[in-house]
Amino acid sequence: MKRKGFGFYFRIYCKILAQDLKSKMSYRADFIISTIGMICTNIAGFISFWILFRSFPSINGWSYHEMLFLYGFSLVSLTPVQCFFDNNWSLRINVYNGDFIKYCFRPINLFFYYQSEVFDIKGLGQLAFGLGTLIYSWTKIGLALTPLMVLKMILFLLTSSLIMIALQNAAAATCFWIQNSFYVLDLVLKFKDYAKYPITIFSPVFRFIFTFIMPIAFIAYYPSLVILRPDEVPVLSWLSPLIGCVFFWLSYKFWMFGATKYSGTGS
Amino acid sequence: MSKIIEIRNVTKEFKVLNRREGLKGSLKDLFSRDYKIVKAVNDISMDIEQGEIVGYLGPNGAGKSTTIKMMTGVLEPTAGEILVNGNAPYKNRSRNAQEIGVVFGQRSQLWWALPLVESFKLLKDIYQIDDKQYNSMLDLYRSLVDIEPLLHKPVRQMSLGQRTLSDILAAFLHDPKIVFLDEPTIGLDVSMKAKIRTLIHALNKEKNTTVILTTHDMGDVDALCRRIVIIDKGRMLYDNDIEHLKGFFGSYRTLKIRIDGDMKEKAEKIHSELPQFSVDSDDEWISVLVDEDKEKVIDVLAGLQKKHDIRDMQLEEISTEEVIKKIYEEGVE
Repeated sequence: MKRKGFGFYFRIYCKILAQDLKSKMSYRADFIISTIGMICTNIAGFISFWILFRSFPSINGWSYHEMLFLYGFSLVSLTPVQCFFDNNWSLRINVYNGDFIKYCFRPINLFFYYQSEVFDIKGLGQLAFGLGTLIYSWTKIGLALTPLMVLKMILFLLTSSLIMIALQNAAAATCFWIQNSFYVLDLVLKFKDYAKYPITIFSPVFRFIFTFIMPIAFIAYYPSLVILRPDEVPVLSWLSPLIGCVFFWLSYKFWMFGATKYSGTGS
Repeated sequence: MSKIIEIRNVTKEFKVLNRREGLKGSLKDLFSRDYKIVKAVNDISMDIEQGEIVGYLGPNGAGKSTTIKMMTGVLEPTAGEILVNGNAPYKNRSRNAQEIGVVFGQRSQLWWALPLVESFKLLKDIYQIDDKQYNSMLDLYRSLVDIEPLLHKPVRQMSLGQRTLSDILAAFLHDPKIVFLDEPTIGLDVSMKAKIRTLIHALNKEKNTTVILTTHDMGDVDALCRRIVIIDKGRMLYDNDIEHLKGFFGSYRTLKIRIDGDMKEKAEKIHSELPQFSVDSDDEWISVLVDEDKEKVIDVLAGLQKKHDIRDMQLEEISTEEVIKKIYEEGVE
């Protein structure tokens, strides 16, 4: 048996993805409707954001365009979790009815195998929307476009994605212990919406919660400070790539630990 | 012949919360640490040789699934030792998975949206099967069943029978040493059952694959298994050749009759007339379990007909459940 390294998993993922896309295209109506739905959700989100800024030209020293930047940043960084880890939403159902056991019989990483089963193509619409917003606000703020900036941008987008993925993994994995983890997942989803705002607008209590307990401030706020306010970057921003990796690793371990606790329903 | 599975004094315990009744009880349970230990599998030992087909039987909740989960590496035994192909499955689930195939009767493990052939190709990559072996396996499949119409059909569009067939083919694809089949014929029609039994038999012959089969269908057992293992309440009751048991349950048959009037009362009366046999009743039937070594069913029926007005009758071969019940009550020998 050959070693199963990154190349092995990457090849398998590509093949599953290609097959999955092929079969999704065959449901054309489903594909079109869900894409339209995703666009509408994003437009609605944007409109409520826009209305808010009609009444308040700036929030706590953050201008309209800077807020837009945060908004775009959070949309882009949410794309990987939407595209690659969407099967987390079905985890509780699979665990509850015992179907989860089928993932335990393959000689590959359980977490990988489970997540590889679903690729949510709707995330791509969100990515396009987020990128558009980001580029628009980038030019409006008048940020320089140097290779270093772009590199920073990519690094911190990846960081944010990792944190979001970690939050969702951990929330989904609670279903290995509790009957209905939907509420936990939903809670994370709700809190995720606050990621679009600068954390300084919240009271110190929530600032603490969003930084250390449910680290959503790392999804957009701390990373984008590096780009937007290079003069007043707190240490936490620079730490965020590390924190992202640590959180992801912890959530992965937590998920796998839950899976080993799993015994399946009788059959 | 070599031992492929060794199970030594294996026990699996589960911690179960002692639940109280009613709302008040549930509230108390929230804070209670009042657990009891349930032994799902209790001190089981057996050896299985390469190439055997073993029927693993027992009523629902007997501990069959738990044993299989331990052999496949999903659960860790509380005590005792399991070696599958020389390795402890729980310690290295992934390596163990390479050597086994698993089919659960009603849960397809194939990719739902993909045509079967694409699933096969993915499995080829996952199990790192080389082209030569893959093609020879497909040729073997072609010679055994008509797979061409299945290959390009998405799994979700298949009938239950086709899906089970596909799952079995997928489980054998990487030429595993052992295949676990959990109720593979459940819910299938007679001809599909026969097809699947023939397929399993042929694959076992051709590849010398060890097959562990759990089922409630004695037809499966008759068609496939030389050896059967019976467990109930976590304990091993029987582990021997089927020939040995056949004599045992061949001599028992269930005579079901319908009589006007209160079934329960009549059943008691019949039992007093036939004290040597056990008599049961439900809303529709009175069942008499007849030991044909003692008396022929036909004679029992004739005797009953003289005293009662029998409206309808059925004759049933004894079911697995009943054999196991008998074994549990009286033992074998």
